Amino acid sequence: MRAWRLDTASALRRIALLAVGVVVWEAAARSGLWSPLIVPSISRIGHELWWLVSRPESAIEAWYSVQRALGGFALAAVVGVSLGVLMGRSALAASVLGPVFSSTYPIPKIALFPIFIYLFGIGSLSKVVLIFLECLYPIVVTTHAGSRAVNRVLLWSAANMGVSRAAMLWKVVVPATAPFIFAGFRIAMPIAMIVVVITEMISSADGLGYLAMYALASFKTDRMLAVVVVIALLGVVLDRLVVRLRDRLVFWEKLESYYVE
Amino acid sequence: MIAPSLLIGVLAVWQFATSFQHPEFILSPAEIARHFVEALWSGELLPHVGASLARALPGFALGSLIGVTFGLLAGVARSVDQLLSPAVFLTYPVPKIVFLPIVMLWVGIGDAAKILVIALASFYPCFINAYYGARGTSRIMVWSGLNMGAGRAQIFRKVVVPGALPLVFAGLRVSLALSFILLFSTEMINARSGLGFLIRQSESSLRFDLMYVAIVTVAILGYTSDQCLLLIRRRALAWQEAGR
Repeated sequence: MRAWRLDTASALRRIALLAVGVVVWEAAARSGLWSPLIVPSISRIGHELWWLVSRPESAIEAWYSVQRALGGFALAAVVGVSLGVLMGRSALAASVLGPVFSSTYPIPKIALFPIFIYLFGIGSLSKVVLIFLECLYPIVVTTHAGSRAVNRVLLWSAANMGVSRAAMLWKVVVPATAPFIFAGFRIAMPIAMIVVVITEMISSADGLGYLAMYALASFKTDRMLAVVVVIALLGVVLDRLVVRLRDRLVFWEKLESYYVE
Repeated sequence: MIAPSLLIGVLAVWQFATSFQHPEFILSPAEIARHFVEALWSGELLPHVGASLARALPGFALGSLIGVTFGLLAGVARSVDQLLSPAVFLTYPVPKIVFLPIVMLWVGIGDAAKILVIALASFYPCFINAYYGARGTSRIMVWSGLNMGAGRAQIFRKVVVPGALPLVFAGLRVSLALSFILLFSTEMINARSGLGFLIRQSESSLRFDLMYVAIVTVAILGYTSDQCLLLIRRRALAWQEAGR
């Protein structure tokens, strides 16, 4: 009950903040100080938003972006969790892979995008590979840290009950690491969205990033802002999905806040 | 010991593989090294490095300074917390690159737009980490400080800030990596100078030598700046490192 009241209070505060933002924007747009090309009014943006939502073509563009982001993310999740758990539980894997990841971590992988275009073509594959690569690092790093910190008593008791190595990894280490894994997922998901939009802005003929750049290039600022709103909403929705999934799977540990990294 | 030998092994395999028939967009490590030295001497590379750094560093400095300051303040003062945190946490999952077209529209397509977007992106991790760093301040420390007659400003400077530093540095590290990602992508999207521009331009004019040189430079810049930050952290957090 108390939690519910807190939730409504913070929700109300967010709505109030949003309302203030909308009013300020609308006032700026109507004041006539700026051309509608620079600050289009909310109603124009809303109109364009409706235009976007009501056309199946734009749903297809959004689907392209989501598909790429989720494809790269899913690949990174599978490979990243396996590598991270392996590094956490095997000294050999940690000594080989650890330096590889820590030395290439600060290198912006986006620079490899042109090579990927040559290798994998200008379509979805080069983008998915780049998203995979950028998402892999946070997932590996957090999973590695988490699987090293698994409670020894759990491991000992499982070993005592005679589980095999594979069962130990799958039934003890992975569930115990799950909170960390999801922390990595929450860092990786916005990265996937960033990279998909960037790559679509740089080279693409479809997707939301392309749509935003195309609208800007054709001086349809209101439409561009509508696309930006859609991208922002998608980012928030995907983040919420990760949080929901986390609460479902990691039910034994409640996060006090969702934003610690 | 394993890492250098692994690196040498990969380079050797790469070098060996390129001695066979291969597409022309793949260069051998020896060729890349030769072109790198050439580009360095001919002055083809350095102006672009300068242009990139002139965008990344002010953007990162601006965003992280504002982020850390307001994050710490929101962590200690409830009024700042209630004013800022909902907005920051609501917009956190929004991919910040979408603001590039808007910012371009408002301040033009020059360096200011890129610096602003980089600052915006590096603001978030710094704010969030500094916020939790300040909120995690040990109460006993604050109480003992108060007990010994420290003022509010003194408590902030001598208890809250040092306590939050490990998380602040974690945030700075994420921000630094993010600011480089945004730097190169904004330069690839539109610019007339900088390494991202160089990669794009040499790619589209089929000058693969220059493209690889630029990519190697990007890697070196990312790696070096991260190492610099880690060095500063080791200095600033000597007390924490000593305990480990």
